[in-house]
Amino acid sequence: MIQAQLEIQLIAAVVAAACALPGVFLVLRKMSMMSDAISHAILPGIVLGFFATSDLASPLLIAGATLTGVLTVALVEMISSTRLIKEDAAIGIVFPALFSVGVILIAQYAGDVHLDIDAVLLGELAFAPFDRLVVGGQDIGPRSLYLMSGVLVVNILFIVIFFKELKVATFDAGLAAALGLMPVLIHYLLMGLVSVTAVGAFDAVGSILVVALMVGPPSAAYLLTDRLSVMLVLSALIGAGSAVAGYWMAHALDASIGGAMATMVGVAFFFTWLLAPDKGYVARQRRRTRQRWTFATKMLTVHLLSHEGLPEAAEECREDHLTHHLRWEPAFATQAVKTAMSDGLVARSGPLLELTPAGRKHAARAVVEI
Amino acid sequence: MSAAVEVRDLTVAYRERPVLWDIDLIVPEGVLMAIVGPNGAGKTTLIKAVLGLVKPAAGEILIYGKSFASQQRRVGYVPQRGSVDWDFPTNVLDVVTMGLYGRIGWFRRPGRADRTKALHALEKVGMADHADRQISQLSGGQQQRVFLARALVQDADVYLMDEPFQGVDATTERAIIALLRELRSDGKTVVVVHHDLQTVPEYFDEVLLLNVRRLASGPVGDVFTEENLRKTYGGRVGFVGAPAGSPPIANRGPLPERLGGVSRSREPSRN
Repeated sequence: MIQAQLEIQLIAAVVAAACALPGVFLVLRKMSMMSDAISHAILPGIVLGFFATSDLASPLLIAGATLTGVLTVALVEMISSTRLIKEDAAIGIVFPALFSVGVILIAQYAGDVHLDIDAVLLGELAFAPFDRLVVGGQDIGPRSLYLMSGVLVVNILFIVIFFKELKVATFDAGLAAALGLMPVLIHYLLMGLVSVTAVGAFDAVGSILVVALMVGPPSAAYLLTDRLSVMLVLSALIGAGSAVAGYWMAHALDASIGGAMATMVGVAFFFTWLLAPDKGYVARQRRRTRQRWTFATKMLTVHLLSHEGLPEAAEECREDHLTHHLRWEPAFATQAVKTAMSDGLVARSGPLLELTPAGRKHAARAVVEI
Repeated sequence: MSAAVEVRDLTVAYRERPVLWDIDLIVPEGVLMAIVGPNGAGKTTLIKAVLGLVKPAAGEILIYGKSFASQQRRVGYVPQRGSVDWDFPTNVLDVVTMGLYGRIGWFRRPGRADRTKALHALEKVGMADHADRQISQLSGGQQQRVFLARALVQDADVYLMDEPFQGVDATTERAIIALLRELRSDGKTVVVVHHDLQTVPEYFDEVLLLNVRRLASGPVGDVFTEENLRKTYGGRVGFVGAPAGSPPIANRGPLPERLGGVSRSREPSRN
């Protein structure tokens, strides 16, 4: 593996982790699409900053773009607070307006410079290692690696320092305000951070895919844990892992790195959704199936108990009668009887089914519970 | 008797539409007070205004004679159960500990002593064995108890509760009212947004009848009359043969039969 490859993977992993952390709070606040809005709406800020500085990594440009991002949030909130339209529609109105200003600016005035529309939409991670950071004549590595590591550190510090304020502002903003913990300030700090992160990630994955990195890993992590702190760590890890996997997918297919990273985020989410230990699809189906058989065994033992030792038992306690009495399909009845027998609750006696002592207890308990 | 909460000339409006109009209210110290009124009467808004969560268009609110900002620590808040997302990744103990965040202050983390306090509050509401439970697994009544425990750890002097009895079973309702009485006997003041008119005389000392304006407020025995209720609910309370100006309902035996016609879903009439 050559050094450039290693550097690209490192940048990709850092970008993904930096996006995933504030993304956790966006997802929990049901504001996922705000990340899409911000990552698009910062474009005019970036373009104007670029015109002013001719440098995509200049602090001035980052500041300008961050302001545009926060402005987006403020505009969306202003429009939706009129209650004339809903917040999702307000997002759909604000960010395309700002984004299109950016697109027009690029097309009109930046046609022949480094900033082109393709790179804006999809990013160009492959070129990142060419832009070196040189300190005192010494090449110390790709510039965007330092930029994104800085963003990651800022995100981590913010979340560690304001962990409990972020938690209560996200869970119950009313209480946070009543406790004097200024949820509105926390909200705008978070939105500022999302904007800074989006500006950094913009270079690597473009404006379209930032949303994948901010929403995908937290959503997957949400399915894996019931603790906020664990969710934060997991989503950073899932993001970074998907980024590295995406790099190798792009390498194998000779495809866009940004596109492959977003694809791998999708794949990671899909498998988490399918296989998560408790909340995953398979686990839920299994639980449902188990409940169905538990219920069937209950019905069977209660049915046998209520007819046990009575004259009609010869009729009621025959296996083929269950299809009639309990409205079970024959295959289901066979399986239910098998389950009950293997649990030691029911035994066969000629054509009849009989409760074992354990089965009698089970049925008596079931009657009480129901 | 000193006032725990005093509201003077309070008006709150969303745009040009008044939600609360010129409210004057005194909540004496050490009482249980119910706020009743139809949907859209401004009950929740009044509580939020006292907490500084909504900005009044006019008026003044005093907690023990001072502004809310200076008395923040003395006010505990129980929001409506439905106002938060119960799928949030956290457990019962953690939610209760949130009540202490104001006291703990910025940049500091809850410690062992805080968790002990939270556990103690959970014991009081009978939920100590649920401390590690994921909050998404709680029933409605349990959620309400957790919110109450969270208010208890605030160790406030005035508690403002938004429909703590909403959607809870009879056992939980009895547990909550026992807790409120305990708070009162400790000298605390509790203001509760309440929907069930039938239980007002049994549960509360004071009542505020609210429908954008203050229709009446004071001791239940004095102001919880059919006439006042009719004014509050726009003449749509279905009493059986009660002439206007009759003695307070509270003094006349069981309410259920005579209040059977109150409907919560009806639109309030605005005067």
